[in-house]
Amino acid sequence: MTDNPILLADTGAATINVALLMSALLFVIGLVGFLSRRNMILMFLCTELMFQAAALAMIAFGKVHGDLSGQVFVIFILTVAAAEAALALGLVVLLYRRRETLDSEAWSELREA
Amino acid sequence: MEIALPPTQLLAEAIASPAAIALTSACAIGAAGLALLMQPGKKGLRIAGTVIALAGFAMLLVEVIKRASAGEDGATTSIPPVFPVIFSFIALAGAVRMVTHPKPVFAALYFILVVIATAGMFLLLGAEFMAFSLIIVYAGAILITYMFVLMLAQQSPVAGVGDAWYDRVPREAVSAVVVGFVILATLSDAYFSARTQTQLADARANGESAAIERAWERLEGMPKLLLETARTAHEDQWRAAQREVAAGTTAATMPEIVSIEQKADGSALRRIEGGVSVSAKLADGSTISVAIPDALRPDNSRQVGVDLVSKFPAGLEIAGVVLLMALFGAVILARKQIELGEDERRGLAGMRRITVDGEAGGMR
Repeated sequence: MTDNPILLADTGAATINVALLMSALLFVIGLVGFLSRRNMILMFLCTELMFQAAALAMIAFGKVHGDLSGQVFVIFILTVAAAEAALALGLVVLLYRRRETLDSEAWSELREA
Repeated sequence: MEIALPPTQLLAEAIASPAAIALTSACAIGAAGLALLMQPGKKGLRIAGTVIALAGFAMLLVEVIKRASAGEDGATTSIPPVFPVIFSFIALAGAVRMVTHPKPVFAALYFILVVIATAGMFLLLGAEFMAFSLIIVYAGAILITYMFVLMLAQQSPVAGVGDAWYDRVPREAVSAVVVGFVILATLSDAYFSARTQTQLADARANGESAAIERAWERLEGMPKLLLETARTAHEDQWRAAQREVAAGTTAATMPEIVSIEQKADGSALRRIEGGVSVSAKLADGSTISVAIPDALRPDNSRQVGVDLVSKFPAGLEIAGVVLLMALFGAVILARKQIELGEDERRGLAGMRRITVDGEAGGMR
């Protein structure tokens, strides 16, 4: 709930819908990127994109219900994203040192059959 | 409840209704555009993909905004949401570019663009605190870590070859887009079906007033602060109220506030012109009413803070522990030294040869 008239004026049902559409599209683009990128770092970057989409959906629905819990959950999303970035990047650096490439297919022997 | 409809009926409704078909075909057009955009090294296809993806996005936007005004019963003439459309366009263009760009560092920079556009959207949705923390944490901290590792782990480009093969050629682009399309069609049908739109409109109607109530309810634990705020804002009114309550005592002594009354009908907290009126119970059993203007309502960051520590204290503690563990884990992972044995070195050399072969194959 803002008191800024400029910000408040726009927050209609259309804004909520556009935000929901944006979150769905961002999530899907992140998913497509995760599936189609070969660079391990960029695969993790695409998961960050999906985190963003989830955060946006939370804030949009929180706005609909006039509840702030959605915004509080975004704080937790940021926490998880930060932890994930630290750990995943540490792992990626280890993997890179072993194979000297970021190509995820260099590790395809780990898959089944 | 309407939710109790059997799934087959829901499915039939979702597939058969012309509105759903319009939405799904817009999704399909956008997906086709994205699939074309992911074809490496073919400029004509990519231009066609851009045009098709833009058309799909525009169709989706039109459809979605139309549904929003339908859900409002036409009671309010909704102005076209200019800023949300601009922000979502920037974010989606950045996201598509991030997924398709052959240079990883550029992809990371496009992600910063997405973050900034999302933060703009947060601002429009009234989440100022999260907007700025998103920019600070994501664009400032997480993305810098990514850039750092990208530059650390990037192979120096060989002259004439350009970007690495695995960055230029996507893996299973079409299957990935098909999976994405299915999820997008499901999501958009769930979000923008007539039933959901009605529910959202109802929730919005209740939400506006509920938000005001809750914002003040949350301050119940700190009546002192509330009344102090009211006092500084409405010195005269406060004095009058005080005189009224405690006739005979000097105006300098502040009556002790026991609780802020909350009746079931919300009578303690009334919405008045340009603000709210709060009733507070004093130590001597009497009550006073204080009018507090909207300008003094707790701002977004204060509300989020109170919500965070009052509703989710355990989550907050766990978040701290998770961050600490991630810190330790990253340090332990990064300290590990890798000694490549003779076999692994030979394997690595083989890998390189395969990569070079793949590169040659990928280029043709």
